Amino acid sequence: MSKLLSPAGAKVLFMGNEAIARGALEAGISVAAGYPGTPSSEVIERLAGVAQERKLYVEWSVNEKVALEVAAAASFAGLRSICVMKQNGVNVASDFLLHLTASGTRGGLVLVTCEDPGALSSVNEGESRYFARMLEIPLLEPSNFQEAKDLTKWAFELSEAIGNVVMLRSVTRMSHASGNVICGKLPVKTREAKFDYDGSVMDSQTGPMISTPVVAKHALHQKKLKDVEALFEKSPFNKYVGPAKPQLLIITSSACFLYASEALSMLNLQKRVGILNLSCTLPLPPKLLKKYLRLTNKIMIVEEVLPFLEETVKVLAAGMFAQIGGKTFYGKIDETLPSFGELNPDIVAGALTKIFKIKRKSLPVAYTKELQKAAAIVPAREMTFCAGCPHRASFWNISNAIALDGREGFVCGDIGCYAMAALFPATGYYTTPTLHSMGSGTGLASGFAKLDVFGMNKPILAVCGDSTFYHAVIPALINAQHNRADITFVVMDNAGTAMTGFQPHPGLPTSALKEVVPAVEIAAICKAIGAKVIISDPFDLAATSKILTTFMAEKGSVKVLILRQACALSPEKKGKKIFDVKVNEDLCMGDSCGCNRLCTRIFRCPALTWDRIKKKAAVDEVICAGCGVCYSICPQKAITKTEAASK
Amino acid sequence: MTIPVKKFISQKILKKEVLESGLCTGCGACVGLCPYQVIYHDRTVQLHACDLENGKCYDYCPRTSTDLNKLRNLLFDAGDMSPEIGAMKGYYFSRATNPQLRENVQHGGTVTALMELALLEGLIDSAIISSPDREFGQSGLVVKDKVELRKNAGSKFTVSPTVAVFNQLEGTKDAGNIGVVATACQALALAKMKLKSVKEDRGKIDQLKLVIGLYCGWAFAAQKFNDLMGQNDIALESISGMDIPAGKNSLEIYTATGTKSFPLSDMQECIRNACHYCLDSTAEYADISVGAARFGDNWEEMRHWNQMIVRTQKGRDLIDLAIKRGVLEVKEAPTESLLQLKKAAVEKKKAALQNIIRKSGSAKNLLYLDCHDPVVQMFLAKQISNKKSR
Repeated sequence: MSKLLSPAGAKVLFMGNEAIARGALEAGISVAAGYPGTPSSEVIERLAGVAQERKLYVEWSVNEKVALEVAAAASFAGLRSICVMKQNGVNVASDFLLHLTASGTRGGLVLVTCEDPGALSSVNEGESRYFARMLEIPLLEPSNFQEAKDLTKWAFELSEAIGNVVMLRSVTRMSHASGNVICGKLPVKTREAKFDYDGSVMDSQTGPMISTPVVAKHALHQKKLKDVEALFEKSPFNKYVGPAKPQLLIITSSACFLYASEALSMLNLQKRVGILNLSCTLPLPPKLLKKYLRLTNKIMIVEEVLPFLEETVKVLAAGMFAQIGGKTFYGKIDETLPSFGELNPDIVAGALTKIFKIKRKSLPVAYTKELQKAAAIVPAREMTFCAGCPHRASFWNISNAIALDGREGFVCGDIGCYAMAALFPATGYYTTPTLHSMGSGTGLASGFAKLDVFGMNKPILAVCGDSTFYHAVIPALINAQHNRADITFVVMDNAGTAMTGFQPHPGLPTSALKEVVPAVEIAAICKAIGAKVIISDPFDLAATSKILTTFMAEKGSVKVLILRQACALSPEKKGKKIFDVKVNEDLCMGDSCGCNRLCTRIFRCPALTWDRIKKKAAVDEVICAGCGVCYSICPQKAITKTEAASK
Repeated sequence: MTIPVKKFISQKILKKEVLESGLCTGCGACVGLCPYQVIYHDRTVQLHACDLENGKCYDYCPRTSTDLNKLRNLLFDAGDMSPEIGAMKGYYFSRATNPQLRENVQHGGTVTALMELALLEGLIDSAIISSPDREFGQSGLVVKDKVELRKNAGSKFTVSPTVAVFNQLEGTKDAGNIGVVATACQALALAKMKLKSVKEDRGKIDQLKLVIGLYCGWAFAAQKFNDLMGQNDIALESISGMDIPAGKNSLEIYTATGTKSFPLSDMQECIRNACHYCLDSTAEYADISVGAARFGDNWEEMRHWNQMIVRTQKGRDLIDLAIKRGVLEVKEAPTESLLQLKKAAVEKKKAALQNIIRKSGSAKNLLYLDCHDPVVQMFLAKQISNKKSR
């Protein structure tokens, strides 16, 4: 049995995302939808794992907007539903979200956004808290694992109480760390789906689900938010820890509560500093805030990335000036703390030492020395594609084809593992100078291709992965085809949403619930819009490179090359080598003229190593995935491949 | 990983001095040595960055600096040298004796007959020639028998990366002794290998036993030529041959549907940029150089003859053998023909020098040529005096 189904009262070690999933189960959800994205993916994955037992419908939707629409339909039918995404996903879902919050919801609908301060696995550290403010919906931010579960469960009640979406925000360190959670009861009764719409247009529980009359509904929406404020005043999720008369009040939320607590303990300031840990951060309850702002004149707001909480607190404090007097605020606006990157206990402690004018005990000299010694021997490792990754071969082909074409063509990059081609230029063989949001590579290429009349006579390429293709590329591709944008569009189809853990996508005949479902073929879609389509294996270097050069030279609209080869780590490939790959040292030219270490210096598969003493290349058998591509690039045929015995 | 800064990365300098300066002849000398450089269509392409100093690519390129004097001393007898057309032991008109062979060849079939003979007599085991390649214009080809040799006879007018095939020859034992049919730039590249060869290439270069040079005024850039043919509705695959008849100042293109004639002035646009900087119209660094006889009033008669310059003893021996075996008809060429040839060669040298100076901006900087080289100096002086007299 999944630990997610542990009985009430059981103390279970849950990852933050599992705690959220358990909270949703305790709330009695019926539907869960999302699009994979680190650090959010485990919520849907775990729920899919217990879907049968809990009678859930769980899906990986084509993108976050559609996921929210699927979840909203369940809500409209009176069911509880959860919609899960990473911070970028909220941007994608935001168009529908804006209208959804205006029409209101019925069954509890919780939008979980797992955010990535420090952009550990993102290409931005954008945050959704500002969406909550803009859309005027409640925002909950758990600061420990128990709370992650409890707040999630409560969020559904709150959503139903106000008839609107509730946003629950987690961050990487909350979603991916683990802690003990005491489980509550799992409900026995399930709800029946029923959608009534013959009531008054002003009644979102019985009438049509629309945002008009806009002004009247907006006023009603704001009135309900006032009710939330009242609930938040008394919520046990907002807590104060610390002395009755602190010298400094820290106002914080989320994982930052843990950083602040640890910083106080590091500096032994627990008796001088109090922490107001807010888990209900929007709307901020004014009475509660007034009560604690009165305790002291020095306030530090500890939060990650932008000063969202700080701004809210300051606005309220300004309104209370007559009652609470002037305060000194420390935070991001006065640059006590950075408004970029992740926080950690050290950064918070650093801020505290400045405020209290105290010195931190420095590390013992011997320890620092040991640390430096260790740092010196840690090998510098670059981010790169895995051994056997089809993307390496794809970019090798693209790079060669661009060079052969000779017009300095370039690739508009996109989001997926292949984003590394843009992030680390040597990994993409210096082909990919742009990288933005999902699908934007194709849109950018569509635009670049129209600049020929202004003198840009280069072949324009775009890449995307298979999952990204369905997520956001299709409109851009249609745009390119319709507007006669001459682009070479490469789909790096590695048979799954590989970067986030092989979640299925519409191109695969399997669903989140492991049912057999119809696969929607990329090639068929591209052909249907009138594009020229060729499918190739990126490991076949000669054939692929030839298609690419032909495509680039050909005048026309969209030319699609689908490069099909499953991810080296995919469940069907993992551990299985196609080839045993070896280096024949007698043939290896090493670094002399005639080769100059092409395989280890330029191709750079992590399984190829350079023996500094022998001055020969070697294959690290443990890392090698046996794809055999290096055999094709070795000018000396010193790299040999033989059918693997373990195949 | 950071690449340490080096002073002279061969590939980079080659790119700057030759490829980007428009001096690349497409001969293939820098190709086939390593995985970094390839020929695509008729362009030399650098696929990835090499960070070596003293790379062979730079050393073998006919458009990087060369000690030509040293090269002449290495290859030729001092008494044979002429400033206009290089070493000359003899100057003849010739044609293949076999009329069947002459049918498909450019002029007299001298080159094909000589290569056939060299293969047959075991002087060489492999011949490297250029072969038409529908997609890419020309490519080099290793042939070992006369059937293949005859199939690929005839001038092609676009460059062929012939030297790349020599570079790529693997298992030198299998290739045996090698003969190459080369244009001036290709012959110079092969000669440079003899001068600068690195240890691992020494064996192969020693196997190079024969270089038959082709007279060459210029070559077409494939893309430009193909575009022109396209504009004139001439399918590339329908072209069976081309020639510049003596005294006509036009290029004739022979197709299945007849002959199309283009004034040479119209063809100027199509000429490969690098050819404007070439001083060598007679493949001076070959053993024997062969061209169209192009002499006298009777073109219909003369078009089936070649003229040839025998430059080395090896060349002389081969011609003697060809006469002895009766495969080649050889006759002394009239002095006027030689004078005409020299005059044309001088014109090319002067024009190229002028172009080089225009490009570099100074007579002291002759790009790949050394302004102190005695032959270069002679034509440089002529050019300056010409200018003055004007």
